[in-house]
Amino acid sequence: MLIPFLLLLHVLVAVGLIGAITHQAVAALRPPAPTGRISFAGRYRAVNAGLFARTVVGLYLASIVLGAVIYPTYRLDARIALEEMGLAWAVGLFELKEHWGGLGLALLPLYALYWRTADTHDNRGPRIAATWLLAFVVWFDFIVGHVLNNLRGL
Amino acid sequence: MSRFSAHWFAATFALAYTVLLVLDLPLFHYYPLTGTLSWHPLPEEFGPSMHWYGLLAGAGIAACGAAWVLKDGYLPVTVRYWIWLAPAAAMAACLYVLRGFFGVS
Repeated sequence: MLIPFLLLLHVLVAVGLIGAITHQAVAALRPPAPTGRISFAGRYRAVNAGLFARTVVGLYLASIVLGAVIYPTYRLDARIALEEMGLAWAVGLFELKEHWGGLGLALLPLYALYWRTADTHDNRGPRIAATWLLAFVVWFDFIVGHVLNNLRGL
Repeated sequence: MSRFSAHWFAATFALAYTVLLVLDLPLFHYYPLTGTLSWHPLPEEFGPSMHWYGLLAGAGIAACGAAWVLKDGYLPVTVRYWIWLAPAAAMAACLYVLRGFFGVS
């Protein structure tokens, strides 16, 4: 009963993370105009940078910890079943998800640093790159997790 | 100013993780069937082993060490600008290492 609950929590944290990082990735690409009438797209881009960065870091770490807790159950219950079904590509996708998720940790302090410092010409490129790379990892891990859970849930 | 260098952390974590993965040298092995942690691989009766925790721990320790000891100033500005490429390159390396799962030899 605990593992399905933790898996659900893992998904909910991932949903929050996807929302926050996507919001910020869009904002990084095109910051909102400082004045004038603000459209829906403008409001979407108008994120509180510091708050969002801290939220993303917290949710990412929470997602990694929850994933690490339920990983042994996947290894014993789901992966062996996937191997028996001959779904090597599915096993490979999970391996990729875990490795890329782990490598996202390498980006996390850099990402936090970029969003803690002012948006200048010098750091705009790396800020966009780090944010989009992290967003890519989050989206990839979420989609792969969803697909694998459909193939063989915990 | 923070003593912790995010640039050195990113570069070292990415490099250490890739090296440990390619050489199959996690810091430790975990055997979920028996709940055993081991510094070295154990016989088959312990069940399947998990390397991910050992890879994360190994890369994390190396990265934290580098981030606390080395200063941002040691890196040229251009390298600092492009340092986010280190995790991206490590991701590409992971894909290459795992290509066998996708039928690519």
